[in-house]
Amino acid sequence: MEKFSYVNATSLKQVTSLLSDSGWGEIMMIAGGTDLLAELKEYIETPKTLINLKTLPGMDSISADASGLKIGALTTVAEIAMHPTIQHHYTVLAQAAASVATPQIRNVGTLGGNLCQRPRCWYYRDETVSCLKKGGDLCYAVEGLSKYHAIFGGDPVYIVHPSDIAPALIALNASIKIVGPEGEKTIKVEEFFTLPAANPFRENVLEPNEIVVEVHVPKPNPNTKSLYLKAREKGAPDFALASVAGVFEVMGRTCQAASIVLGGVAPAPWRSTDAETALTGKMINDSVSAKAGEEAVKNAQPLNDNEYKVTLTQNLISRAAMMAVSK
Amino acid sequence: MARKSHVQTTINGETVEFLCEPRQSLLEVLRDELHLTGAKEGCNNGNCGACSVILDGRLVNSCLVLGAEIDGKSVETIEGLAEPDKLHPIQDAFLENAALQCGICTPGFIMSAKALLDKNPNPTEHEVRYWLAGNLCRCTGYDKIVRAVLDAAAAT
Amino acid sequence: MSEKKEYKVIGTRPIRHDGVDKVTGRAIYGADFQITGLLHGRVLRSPHAHARIVSIDTSRAEAHPGVKGVVTAEDLPAAEDKMADLGEGAVSLKYLCDNILASDKALYKGHAIAAVAATSPHIAEEACELIDVEYEVLPPVLEVRQAMESDAPILHENLRTSSLGETGDKPSNIASHFQHKKGDIDKGFDEADVIIEREFVTGTVHQGYIEPHNATALYNPDGQLTVWCSTQGAFTVREQLAEILQYPISKIKVVPLEIGGGFGGKINVYVKPVAALLAKKTGKPVKVLMNRADVFEGTGPTPASYITIKMGATNDGKITAAQTSLVFEAGAYPGSPVGAGAMCVFAPYNIENVVIDGYDVVVNKPKTAPYRAPGATNAAFGTETVVDELAEKLNIDPLEIRLMNGAKEGDRRADGPVYPRIGFIETLEAAKEHPHYASPNGKKYHGRGIASGFWFNIGLESSVTINVNPDGTVNLVEGSTDIGGTRASIAMQAAEVLGIPAESVNPTVVDTNSIGYTAVTGGSRTTYATGYAAYEAAQDVVQQMKARAAKLWDVDEDNVQFADGEFSSINGKEEQISFRDLSARLGETGGPVIGRATMNPAGAGGAFATHVVDVEVDVDTGKVEILRYTATQDAGKAIHPSYVEGQIQGGVVQGIGWALNEEYIYNDEGEMTNASFLDYRMPTCLDLPMIDAVIVEVPNPGHPYGVRGVGEVPIVPPPAAIANAIYDAVGIRMTELPMSPDRLLKAMGKI
Repeated sequence: MEKFSYVNATSLKQVTSLLSDSGWGEIMMIAGGTDLLAELKEYIETPKTLINLKTLPGMDSISADASGLKIGALTTVAEIAMHPTIQHHYTVLAQAAASVATPQIRNVGTLGGNLCQRPRCWYYRDETVSCLKKGGDLCYAVEGLSKYHAIFGGDPVYIVHPSDIAPALIALNASIKIVGPEGEKTIKVEEFFTLPAANPFRENVLEPNEIVVEVHVPKPNPNTKSLYLKAREKGAPDFALASVAGVFEVMGRTCQAASIVLGGVAPAPWRSTDAETALTGKMINDSVSAKAGEEAVKNAQPLNDNEYKVTLTQNLISRAAMMAVSK
Repeated sequence: MARKSHVQTTINGETVEFLCEPRQSLLEVLRDELHLTGAKEGCNNGNCGACSVILDGRLVNSCLVLGAEIDGKSVETIEGLAEPDKLHPIQDAFLENAALQCGICTPGFIMSAKALLDKNPNPTEHEVRYWLAGNLCRCTGYDKIVRAVLDAAAAT
Repeated sequence: MSEKKEYKVIGTRPIRHDGVDKVTGRAIYGADFQITGLLHGRVLRSPHAHARIVSIDTSRAEAHPGVKGVVTAEDLPAAEDKMADLGEGAVSLKYLCDNILASDKALYKGHAIAAVAATSPHIAEEACELIDVEYEVLPPVLEVRQAMESDAPILHENLRTSSLGETGDKPSNIASHFQHKKGDIDKGFDEADVIIEREFVTGTVHQGYIEPHNATALYNPDGQLTVWCSTQGAFTVREQLAEILQYPISKIKVVPLEIGGGFGGKINVYVKPVAALLAKKTGKPVKVLMNRADVFEGTGPTPASYITIKMGATNDGKITAAQTSLVFEAGAYPGSPVGAGAMCVFAPYNIENVVIDGYDVVVNKPKTAPYRAPGATNAAFGTETVVDELAEKLNIDPLEIRLMNGAKEGDRRADGPVYPRIGFIETLEAAKEHPHYASPNGKKYHGRGIASGFWFNIGLESSVTINVNPDGTVNLVEGSTDIGGTRASIAMQAAEVLGIPAESVNPTVVDTNSIGYTAVTGGSRTTYATGYAAYEAAQDVVQQMKARAAKLWDVDEDNVQFADGEFSSINGKEEQISFRDLSARLGETGGPVIGRATMNPAGAGGAFATHVVDVEVDVDTGKVEILRYTATQDAGKAIHPSYVEGQIQGGVVQGIGWALNEEYIYNDEGEMTNASFLDYRMPTCLDLPMIDAVIVEVPNPGHPYGVRGVGEVPIVPPPAAIANAIYDAVGIRMTELPMSPDRLLKAMGKI
């Protein structure tokens, strides 16, 4: 790693004020550090100063009431995965958190860090490659090795967003509170992420001097079944080859509403409105769920090496739909 | 020039003070500054678990924690597990079950097993595998490691 | 040796002698070594897969604060075009030196170009960025078939193909071609009722040891060079250093510390000579470590290969002909294990008519190094799949067809050797009788596969000395680094001879100044050959102590016998004394007793294995789950059964990783894109069930306790066994490794 100074955060105001003095990358925030330190070790990021967020008070707890959940951005992934209320009533979120990396990384990685983590693309993570995302000319995945790259929304940068928690939160219709020098604002998590067409350099709308502080998740309706399916090459640790965060309002075998968000297939978590439409109001059986899978991928645009992701996504959606109505 | 951080911490129950560059990881500090070489570097980016230690009661990869971050915290490493005349039951179980061959992953596995059994004293085989999934072993095929952890659970 | 013997120590499961140090973190591995005044070294590696090195300017690095020395190939003594003798065959000295620090060409991404010693590892890393190298980038060639084409980029201008005794006259990437023939292949295929011919491709796979390479070197002012390191063989390191540094062996001491895995990959030296060069330049001890990416990109993986197999059998299941072409990637320099692959490819079967062609081909990847039964797993992937297909076509059970054709004592292998007593049939029978084989296998998308494998095992030299302590314990001094529990298995053999408990033997692994020549811990030889030396050294102790007892009792030496730990007099006088009590009286009978032996045993015997695996294929995701795995293996005699089981289980799991997930992924520029444990996917404990290791014992006549080496053969059958299970599950024959989810989805026609 390059040399840097290390500063403990004392307040949000102090943090945003420090960050306001520089552009991207000179002063960076470190929470769990499981992604950031890996980037520093590979010289993908070379900040002069790190601000340690873990000393900020009041940002690391989960509170649940009748209206929903409030999760502080410094809450660890492990705490989210193990929280009984989340496991029972926001199952997709608990399952997504439990599928992240390894126990060691879940113990330290935070909600904020998981949402803000950078892509795993092997061109992006190679310091010698000046790819489009890093300000260069070319997204090398297009003509190069694209096994782990996007099948939706890629143009012009074909990374996939690596977060498991993000699709789960979006499927649950969650919101995210952001604090900047001017104050705070709350937006939908779905709007937090951006596609490369809007901004090839970043994956979310944060400005350099803004910080994620909290996520709100509204309580799902009583007849909701939710789940997270993650296809990967080995048990752990592994990012998703494709994943499905599904929140289904189910009466008997009929799906009254479906919220389906895909991970591992696009530069941002990808809501599949086509699958949602194919399932809403229908009685779920083999052919309905198969159709939902087909619909979900009909506009997929695979690259040279990742056509299997189309099949995977299709199959995972069908499977998720069937699981939603089974006992 | 970035100043060194002055860190005061508790390691295996003893108060310890050291200076370190901010860019030195906890793993580097343990090995190079404090000469506690039980935690090993296998990959330096959180993918093998050979550097696992317990920080404030939570199992972590010490390669992904900065030395400066442990100021005021407490760390347990493999060196603190045994008593002067007695091994920890997990260490005994590893020896009885021949759960190590080259032994490089063993400190990390034992710390992960301790973290598991401290929270869940009676895990199933699947739970053992799930909670040890962050530790790589290339020699044993894991069979005897899993048996050792189950044995240690039964013994305590 | 043919009857079952009752042993006191052999076959028991004592706690290994180095166990406490290893579970408490006290054991000192190579990277743990500390010494006063230590500098830290770091190697700069080529970013290009193929390039001419035009110039190297180290001035900015040398000027960086904290940097104490920089070295390049210029610091190596002139590497002439001569052959070096490294004890295991001749190697080109220029190739050897060039792989340590490149001189005129970088031949793979990761090829070492220069190295820096500095006051901290971070400064050394910074300084590497300040070394200015001018490259003329050349097109790389990355696959054997492309490398063999006439217009392929050439790695070595002076490499000529050596083929069947003739030398080619043009530069080529084909280093060599050899052939083994037995019988009449055309006649063999004529006799066959069914012929199967298939092509197989396997990817580049790394040994994956968790501990990266390391070395600390120090030159004393008197010229003595000491190197502390993790290695599979301190003596081979000494030889390699002597050749590379052109330095006398007598002035080199190699101290082997504990080693975190090797699997064949820690026999060749990489950073050890670099540490020595930096130590020479700076006058200080220098420690050089690799990081994980360095390990993947800079050290030898095992070859990717392209294999064709053709086998024919009669309708009643007799295999009449077998032919193969084994094309192995050697990496940047010649020397793939294609020869070993050729020895093993059809080895389990007695076939009259065989032709084996082997090709060693260079490509722009790191020079390959041995990986556990090198070459055999590639070959078995092909053979065992084809045998399975033959069995299916002929409607014969896959175990039965192997029983019908299985090699036995007296059969001749295609490459020449005649088998002594071997245990292949016994492993098949053990698999057949195992409850796994009888268990139901009918569920949808579930399948069962069988495969067998062979590894020849080696002998080579080992030396042992045993010093008797006055309290009935002994100190056993040996030179075999302990990667998997061999301190215990060697100590147990001495203990058995001496009639004392295993705990009464204190084994120590020592440096090259302190024991006679000992070859590598590898080739499945350590429990066999070093154990044999320990046995002989213990017999030497017994002989000497018989003389001491005779002196005590004033009888002839011939009148003293030793059995079950007791010396007794057999003529006239009724005298008896235990080993322990006699050990207290050595001072008065002539002084200390030191037993010694050095062995180079010829009868390693060969090891066979048969594996049975059940899988479930998730047809939606292409993921293969291992449900149940049973590995039967002939160990000859399991000295310490727990560590024999451990070798079997560990090899099986490496084979599973090779089968399902592991491969080097290269882009067109020859850069490995997955040089980390994230994207180079080795199995975790969450991916696996328990592995049932079944030890079969057909004693090896070439060892006093019947030992056969066990370390390597377990990795040979798994890829084929899993491929055969996948076929049983979903009707698809996979012929390319790894059988990862995307490949399975494609093969099932789902893409």
